[in-house]
Amino acid sequence: MNTLGRILIVEDDPRDVELTLTALEEYNLANAVVVARDGQEALDYLYRRGQFHTRSDGNPAVMLLDLKLPKVDGLEVLKQVRSDEYLKMIPVVVLTSSHEEKDMMRSYKLGVNAYVVKPVDFHEFVNAVKELGVFLGSYQRASARKRQEGLKLL
Amino acid sequence: MATWNLQAQMGSSRVLRYGYSLACVAIAMAVALVFRHYRFHELAPPFNLAIAVVTWYGGVGPSVMALVLSTACFDYFFSSPIHSFVISRGDLPAFFAFMVWAVLIASFAGVRRRIENDLSHARDHLQIELEHRKQQEGEILKLNQELISRAAELESSNNELESFAYSVSHDLRAPLRHVVGFSELLQKQAASLVDDKSRRYIKTILDSSKRMGNLIDDLLSFSRIGRAETKKSLVNMEQLVKDVVSEIQRETRDREIAWKIDALPVCYGDRSMLMVVLTNLISNAVKFTRMRTRAEIEIGCAHRDNDDVEVFVRDNGAGFDMQYANKLFGVFQRLHRAYEFEGTGIGLATVQRIIHRHGGEVRAEGAVDEGASFYFSLPKQQHPQVRAANTV
Repeated sequence: MNTLGRILIVEDDPRDVELTLTALEEYNLANAVVVARDGQEALDYLYRRGQFHTRSDGNPAVMLLDLKLPKVDGLEVLKQVRSDEYLKMIPVVVLTSSHEEKDMMRSYKLGVNAYVVKPVDFHEFVNAVKELGVFLGSYQRASARKRQEGLKLL
Repeated sequence: MATWNLQAQMGSSRVLRYGYSLACVAIAMAVALVFRHYRFHELAPPFNLAIAVVTWYGGVGPSVMALVLSTACFDYFFSSPIHSFVISRGDLPAFFAFMVWAVLIASFAGVRRRIENDLSHARDHLQIELEHRKQQEGEILKLNQELISRAAELESSNNELESFAYSVSHDLRAPLRHVVGFSELLQKQAASLVDDKSRRYIKTILDSSKRMGNLIDDLLSFSRIGRAETKKSLVNMEQLVKDVVSEIQRETRDREIAWKIDALPVCYGDRSMLMVVLTNLISNAVKFTRMRTRAEIEIGCAHRDNDDVEVFVRDNGAGFDMQYANKLFGVFQRLHRAYEFEGTGIGLATVQRIIHRHGGEVRAEGAVDEGASFYFSLPKQQHPQVRAANTV
């Protein structure tokens, strides 16, 4: 699954980070994970500035985004990503505690690819991550195919 | 305005009005005497004028007095034979002409005066009405202001409630998720190291945490139903019941349940909310008939008239003691022990809240071990008062 590229986890709670990593490990998805502890750090990573100014080029394969974050909140990060020409193609999955309809509606309006409510049950969470892996795989295959078709057209 | 004031003053005192009449006739008399001194022929006009003026300002009584006095004076002093009340034949036409003229003036002035009086009454009446209206308007304005501030208060408390629910949703679930997550990891990690007792402890931690998660979720969805806007339309209840039953039947394939769905009318309500009501009641019926080899569940219409309809869900299950019927619809109220029947005790509270938001009522009938019936009423059409309540 190395072909998937990096997964950017934007999450301020280290316990949630650990649980997410454990769930990703179950499906061998955890080998290329970057963790940002708040919205500002996530944007720094995406724009390769601050502590990430030396990182190698390229967008993450997917961004797992919490909504309630210190400094810059998740919806703001999502908004900036979607309004940036270079970043807007990154698949974003909102991973949050909130199953408030309001948050879901706002996330979808801002163009999120998936909205996952973190279940209390860890089993369910692992299943959600599994589905995420399937989603990512098909998403990548689809975009790779598109790229190939684009090349053919050229 | 001056005329008005004079009339008003005159109107206030009877003595003043009759005195005024007397004075006018006296002045007319004096003027007539002056006229005669200068040998004028027409001596009636001063008296006519006096009568007119008195009628104008003094009213009917003084006018009659002026008329009588003027006639007497004119007859006595100016019509021959002079200094006698006898009227000579030659003066008779002139005297009559004077009388008729005087009466005409008096009656015209009287009519006019009456009309003016009526008008002034009407004006006073209008003035009072106007003040009354103004007062009422002021009261309405005050009430409106109160309503606006009430609405603002409600809005702010609603917002507070919303942010409370939001923080519960976010902050309370996070630590719970960690407890469950790490307990599950522990369960897996230490599976070979711990004894049965410890394993049981871990399982209890997990079960309790999950139960707490369910309680929080149910409480949140209960509060959300209270806050959510209702989107009302005509709903085919029979179809809705069939949808809910077929959904529930998927999970009850291993049980023998005799379903009876009667004809149900079209009601007016929020479809998704009514679906929650039916799902709660019907899955309760399924749950509490679990110990029956053959469960019987009936959904029908208990009562209907032009405006309302009462739907019931009846089962032959565990039932309940009517003594506790009022407790059934409370939040977290349960009449059965947790190990007998699972549940958080929020289902019927949700049902009640939804039905109340539709302007209906809920009630329950039952007996221990003899089944239970749950009733809810709904409007068939949009009630005017419900419509009003919704727009506020």
